[in-house]
Amino acid sequence: MKINVNGKQVEIKDDAKNIMEALREIGIEIPNLCYLSETSVYGACRMCLVEVDGKEIVTSCTLAPREGMSIRTHTPKIYEMRKGILQLLLASHDGDCTTCEMNGKCKLQRYARDFGLTTNRFATVSKKTITDNSSIIVRDNAKCILCGDCVRACEELQTVSAIDFAYRGFDTQVVPSFEEKIENTECVFCGQCVAYCPTGALAIRNDVDKVYKAIEDGKYVIGMIAPAVRASLQEEFGLEDDIAMAGRMVSVLKMIGFKKVFDVAFSADLVAYEEAHEFLERLEKNERLPQFTSCCPGWVKFAEQYYPEYVPHLSSVKSPQMALGAVIKKYYAKEIGVAEDIILVSVMPCTAKKFEAEREEFNGDVDIVLTTRELVKVFKSTGMDIKMVEPEPFDRPFGLSSQSGLSFGKTGGVLGSVIEVIADKAAVKNVNTKQISEGTNLTEIELENGRIVRGIAVFGLGNVRKVVDKLKNGELQADVVEVMACNYGCIGGGGQPYPNDVRTRARRASILRETQSVDVLISPTENFHMRQLYEKYFGAPLSHEAHETLHTEYKHRRRIQQEEIDILPLPTDDEEKIEISVCLGTSCYTKGSYEILEKLIALSNNEEWAKNLEIKGTFCLENCGKAPNVLINDRIVGEATIEKIKEVALSEIREKQGDTEISKSNL
Amino acid sequence: MLTRSFDKVEDILEKYGYRKEMLIKILLEIQHEYRHIPREVVNYIGVALGIPPAKIYGVITFYSQFSLNPKGEYTIMICDGTACHMEGSMNLVKVIEEEIGIRPGEVTQDLKFSLDKVGCLGACALAPAMVINGEVYGKLTPDKVREILRNIKERKAE
Ligand code: SF4
Ligand code: SF4
Ligand code: SF4
Ligand code: FES
Ligand code: FES
Ligand code: FES
Repeated sequence: MKINVNGKQVEIKDDAKNIMEALREIGIEIPNLCYLSETSVYGACRMCLVEVDGKEIVTSCTLAPREGMSIRTHTPKIYEMRKGILQLLLASHDGDCTTCEMNGKCKLQRYARDFGLTTNRFATVSKKTITDNSSIIVRDNAKCILCGDCVRACEELQTVSAIDFAYRGFDTQVVPSFEEKIENTECVFCGQCVAYCPTGALAIRNDVDKVYKAIEDGKYVIGMIAPAVRASLQEEFGLEDDIAMAGRMVSVLKMIGFKKVFDVAFSADLVAYEEAHEFLERLEKNERLPQFTSCCPGWVKFAEQYYPEYVPHLSSVKSPQMALGAVIKKYYAKEIGVAEDIILVSVMPCTAKKFEAEREEFNGDVDIVLTTRELVKVFKSTGMDIKMVEPEPFDRPFGLSSQSGLSFGKTGGVLGSVIEVIADKAAVKNVNTKQISEGTNLTEIELENGRIVRGIAVFGLGNVRKVVDKLKNGELQADVVEVMACNYGCIGGGGQPYPNDVRTRARRASILRETQSVDVLISPTENFHMRQLYEKYFGAPLSHEAHETLHTEYKHRRRIQQEEIDILPLPTDDEEKIEISVCLGTSCYTKGSYEILEKLIALSNNEEWAKNLEIKGTFCLENCGKAPNVLINDRIVGEATIEKIKEVALSEIREKQGDTEISKSNL
Repeated sequence: MLTRSFDKVEDILEKYGYRKEMLIKILLEIQHEYRHIPREVVNYIGVALGIPPAKIYGVITFYSQFSLNPKGEYTIMICDGTACHMEGSMNLVKVIEEEIGIRPGEVTQDLKFSLDKVGCLGACALAPAMVINGEVYGKLTPDKVREILRNIKERKAE
């Protein structure tokens, strides 16, 4: 379609969503502060004004292209209007840029500079603001311009909706329900809200100082770098399509004081290898299928909260980050003889990886997680010109990786790697991949024996929800499902540099693809350093030792954290007591949970074995379908009766006694 | 208290067939029932209707019909606009405090009364003025306020 832009005829795509997108394609980025191509159009900031047919001035993000229309993008009037909008925003904005995480990257700051705003005709107004720096996702609403990008990313892309607009008018704030801290909500820490926030209102907890402290304290600091980081770092250093970035990163980290730098792509090979065997075993036994990948901690938390019935279906193999952490802390530390002094720093594209490293299941194997954004700061502060840094290879033995391991950084990578391993074990006749819906690819693998294995790779939690729901109701069949919480996989992770939009993500995917293509190893099975690990420590995939080191367990998690009511608190040690929480939510209440509670209290008063039951009341366990529910330690007992509870509690007690006997005999 | 309170929520939800689109209606009934929207109830209906609590919170804080803190069965709004202020409305606040033991922003233990200080009620000619459950009382004196409150208390006692 032809339109006239600033006096010139131009050709734009017929299917352009709106004038903003159309003009982007021809090299005009209309100033905008509330537009995301990936979500619905909000149209609130009014920065994106254009003049149509010499008459009205309208927002270009809501303007549909029409043949022959005439657009002016930058008239004096529009210029003034934009300036006015910026001044209004800045009047209530905490403009302390030097202490802001987004200093130098912030869109608002950039526009203020580009529009030459050195003074403000509006008086400064201060408003009540909410801050939350208790966890990985840091919010400072004094810097929020209410563009709603984070709200739409969380709701539309991720279908989590941990945050929303609250209050009205001048008092409007973006907050979780009841201004709760984000860590106590259903937030999965995917960081997509941070990824899109144009200002410093949303940031990632900065852990850089911890790294310097470790070096200063003389710790043996080991680094490990995820595949997706090498695909995005160059954006910040004026490099293009640089496939030697990983090597440059190794050099700089060594210069700073890292003793060793390993490649997380190595453990991606390891994870794919172990996971493929786990999958083949389940396939053979026909149990817990489809198997879901579990390398994405955002997805894992999502599954724990929304799909408890599928938690046992998650691969029990740890993510590459946690697997390498365990291998280094358990074996490598002994090999080099510095066990206590190792501080393991992983560099990730991902905010959720910080959360994962802190999960209690992994007993702190990875000490510090830096996101790409933090690494950029470290590098920039050295003053080194990255372009001129000689690349250095990753350290052995965990520096080797195959193309498959590297591909973990983007969608389809984990699944592809698993398929590579399967192809090595069982003869594969045919592999066929097609897109079946938004962000969802289906791969059919035909084995020699005629069996067809169906694998799905899906990204974006909104797409994931659709796929999992279809799997649940039988509309879709699969044997293995790769899930990545972020659009296009980890290359679009919440810890990646801003901007982090579709165009940038596509570029990162192509850089990663090129980086992969120069790797001589194709399948994880070819990674001989990985095979050595099996020879030395694990013996075989799924062995007892492999389970001890490489596998873990996940559990049902409530979306809404709520305090429990102590009904019969015990002064004894946590070790000895069995916690029983009776759900007093409505469904359970109406199904008689209150009577259960009364019987339990009687039980603990009358029966000797039951004296160590600590009884609590709790509010909706989010399992209302199976009401009444009771939580015994961490086990949910649905359709509970006092007999059932007794049985489970007794078995918990037996388990505990078993444990103590074992540990006694160990002494 | 806790268990008893959820029974009613469940009735309300049932009445509206657990339909997401009925959120506002449901919230209005809950507001009516509890005279505010308790946090546990937000979480509860969030789970029951499949609406994230952050969204419900957004709705509650957007519409002035909803309140997060309990309101009394009788909501007293005492005017502190300029006209009323000049006529000594703050003195009346003290009288109310003596009479029912709460200050602006608070609610009595039995949830009978709540008191809020508001801007001009648009009844300056009657200053000082207050509104109780929509009814305007003007040209107030300490004695008049006491009488009004006592009347209400008795009305309830019957
Ligand atoms: S981190 Fe992800 S889940 Fe959490 S608020 Fe941001 S977008 Fe939502
Ligand atoms: S926090 Fe950031 S993305 Fe969210 S509304 Fe505020 S400025 Fe926009
Ligand atoms: S897709 Fe990757 S970057 Fe995004 S949450 Fe999952 S692991 Fe992190
Ligand atoms: S970008 Fe169009 S109104 Fe904000
Ligand atoms: S009310 Fe008990 S699980 Fe929902
Ligand atoms: S100032 Fe009180 S009614 Fe106007």
